[in-house]
Amino acid sequence: MTADPGQTPVGTGVGTADLTLDAAAVTADVPAELFAQSLGQYFRASWQRVRGGNAGVLPVLLALVVVAIGFQIANSKFLGAQNLVNLFEQSTIYMLLAIAEIFALLLGEIDLSVGLVMGLSSVVVAELVQPTGANWPWWAAIIAALLASTAFGAIQGTLVSRLKMPSFIVTLGGLLILEGVAIIVLGGSLVGIGNGGFTNEVYLYNIFWGTFSPVVGWILLVVLVGAAGGGLWLQDARKRRRGLETAPRSLVAMKILLIAVAGIAVVAICNVNRAHAGTIEGVPFIIAIVLVVLLASTALLQRTRFGRYVYAIGGNPEAARRAGVRLPVIRTWCFALAGLISGIAGVLFASWQVSLTTNIIKASNSYVLLAVAAAVIGGTSLFGGRGKTIHGVLGGLVIGGIYNGLYLLGVSSQWIDVAVAAVLIAAAVIDVLSRRGAPGKA
Amino acid sequence: MTADHGESPATAAGTGTADLTLDAKVAEADLPPQLVAQSLGEYMRASWLRIRGGNSGVLPVILAIVIVAVVFEIITPEHAYLRPSNLVYIFGLSTVYMILAIAETIVLLLAEVDLSVGAVALIGGAIAFKLVQQPGPNWPWWAAILAALAICGAFGALQGALVALLRIPSFVVTLGGFLLFSGILIIILGGADSTVSLNTDDPNQNFIYDMVQGLISPLFGWIILAVVVGVAGTSQWFRAAARRRRGLVTPPVGVTVIRIALVTIVGAAVVLVCSVNRGTTLKHVTGVPWVIPIVLVVLAAWTITLQRTRFGRYMYAIGGNPESARRAGVSLPKIRIWGFALCSATAALGGILLGSFFYGQYSTNTADPGQLVLYTVAASVIGGVSLFGGRGKAIHGVLGGLLIGGIAYGVSLLSLGSLSTPLTYILPGGVLLIAVLIDVQSRRGAGA
Repeated sequence: MTADPGQTPVGTGVGTADLTLDAAAVTADVPAELFAQSLGQYFRASWQRVRGGNAGVLPVLLALVVVAIGFQIANSKFLGAQNLVNLFEQSTIYMLLAIAEIFALLLGEIDLSVGLVMGLSSVVVAELVQPTGANWPWWAAIIAALLASTAFGAIQGTLVSRLKMPSFIVTLGGLLILEGVAIIVLGGSLVGIGNGGFTNEVYLYNIFWGTFSPVVGWILLVVLVGAAGGGLWLQDARKRRRGLETAPRSLVAMKILLIAVAGIAVVAICNVNRAHAGTIEGVPFIIAIVLVVLLASTALLQRTRFGRYVYAIGGNPEAARRAGVRLPVIRTWCFALAGLISGIAGVLFASWQVSLTTNIIKASNSYVLLAVAAAVIGGTSLFGGRGKTIHGVLGGLVIGGIYNGLYLLGVSSQWIDVAVAAVLIAAAVIDVLSRRGAPGKA
Repeated sequence: MTADHGESPATAAGTGTADLTLDAKVAEADLPPQLVAQSLGEYMRASWLRIRGGNSGVLPVILAIVIVAVVFEIITPEHAYLRPSNLVYIFGLSTVYMILAIAETIVLLLAEVDLSVGAVALIGGAIAFKLVQQPGPNWPWWAAILAALAICGAFGALQGALVALLRIPSFVVTLGGFLLFSGILIIILGGADSTVSLNTDDPNQNFIYDMVQGLISPLFGWIILAVVVGVAGTSQWFRAAARRRRGLVTPPVGVTVIRIALVTIVGAAVVLVCSVNRGTTLKHVTGVPWVIPIVLVVLAAWTITLQRTRFGRYMYAIGGNPESARRAGVSLPKIRIWGFALCSATAALGGILLGSFFYGQYSTNTADPGQLVLYTVAASVIGGVSLFGGRGKAIHGVLGGLLIGGIAYGVSLLSLGSLSTPLTYILPGGVLLIAVLIDVQSRRGAGA
């Protein structure tokens, strides 16, 4: 293997510029847009990839549809505007933690501490804005919480990458230590941010519970769809001008249309008044927050050298090392980023829970399982090198849907745990079997 | 590598070179000192070389236990840590960790991990407690215990099958299992706030209650000790004699004598400590808890299974190098599934002891299954079992469990106020990380 530090070693498929549609090349991990000449060819190529064990987000979208239809039949409130917003609010934490977890999973590692990093971050942010205590401004408290989370992730990453300790043990020990530290930071038995009399607490409270007014929601949507559509279209045009392989034009148009339709649906649903009395309407801030985290992490992983290195290490660490990738640096950064994103989840968690107790801190640990489950259900492999952060968002939505639906049906929490465990194991089995189905992978 | 079905591939390489001279390089290369030493002095020197080569066995954990004991004796209020009543209590508390750590050791030897042992153990305890209830199933105690072991064994086999047949990483399968079994536990107990307790007036239920709480009178304790030392001593002696007669390499006679003497001294110390009155002057409480012989039986059973049977050799072979074990004809899925099943069955026994330790009460608040797992993995690794497979013995689990129990109880003795709850998390976490760090470094030192 030749060492080419600038190029990602996993992208060997791109080198063979075979433009004919042929099943063997298709199953060999080549993205369909590289050789499809028309929309019909593109769909056929995509279908071949799905059959070859490279299904991408398709299974999780299917799961979402099944969950939606199943629970809607069981309880007609499930797809109501009120419950859908509720469902999204519940899923936010799963989504963010799953994105954090994906940074570890892509390397072929695991981070079992994301739940308690979130717990620590939530306690830090809540304690720092207490008017009787530190009384920091809300933004300073958030920065401090995020710094602490990132630092903890970096320490764990250092233990994993420099001292070669297995990541599941480092993060297992790490979560125990965090649990203790979080309880120490909490000090007493309760800390709350629900006091409307203090500006800083109101700001924090609104991070999770605040909404854009309906008009602002529509304006933001137009801006967003415009930017995304323009970006996609320009990128396509630039590729075409330079003579690179591009997806058919109609496909780009369809993508833009899909984004617009999905966006309009979300804004329309959120703008329905969902209060029993009075008015609660508008797009929640958290949708924007999740979108920002998703876009930033996607850009980082798909468009930067750092991202290519992450996939390279996950695919084959030895090959990546020989290609000149500095494994410890990338690994440490990934764990630090997992810490950072869990820290963001922690800020939302504090805002969501409004008041934090020792028991809530202890319970934050259970989110780790759901985060791993969400990532794997979304389509991220446990064995590294395969996955995107969008998988975390979709998987988080599935988990949130299952929780929400079962709860609506009056199922007790232990049975919900049993159901989620079954889903996690099923996702892991599918992951293993689909890897087996894909050629050239162990 | 040649395939030799009767022999374990992991040890075959060392045993083959019958080099009887004492030389530092050989001693470092994983050879037990009894194979090279001709006299007591040589034996000691060979052992020292092995320790320096990163192969220290139980020595570090024994050292750690001594340090923990001394430190807590100094810093606890009124220097109460080493009082006989506390020592007996620590042992009762530690038995759960010991049994669970032995269970975890089985899986760790295969280079896998079982994060569900805590939840499985609690299920085992809950099942046994439910089955002896009267009114209720009213099963005899032995049938209830066997049923608990069998059901938990089946749970373990199920997880083992997912790991062994599909090769899903064991920490994922058992993480899911942990969540699943934690849910099932609450369902078995019959709701989040329900309690199952033993009625000590019923002799059948009282038997399970007595497994940790029951005491053997001091006189009886001495008799049992004499029998144990006698049997262990003569079997050691005869085995050494038999080996010598057949011209096999044997440890020097002096080593055998020292071993028997050590067992006697430790046993006598335990019985002596247990014979001191730890009640009040009005109500005497003396005697050896039943749980000590119970732990000894489990330890002996697992030591014999791992060190003296073909199954045990296969476990070490798989943990050392699965591919070479497979090529030597070992059926990896079969051994792995059995390993997980036996781990869970052993854990179930730990769960029953846990309920007995909590005065025959079982509720969802008895123990946090997640914390139990962490303590368990920490106990095995601190005891000297490697996370990477192929290195460890049942005795390591017992010693590691004692260390963890000793630390946990010592912290609870210090009146730390608001710090005591966080410390019950931070200490095992820190200890786990240090133990793994040592494990990783010693493997590096050993060149593996």
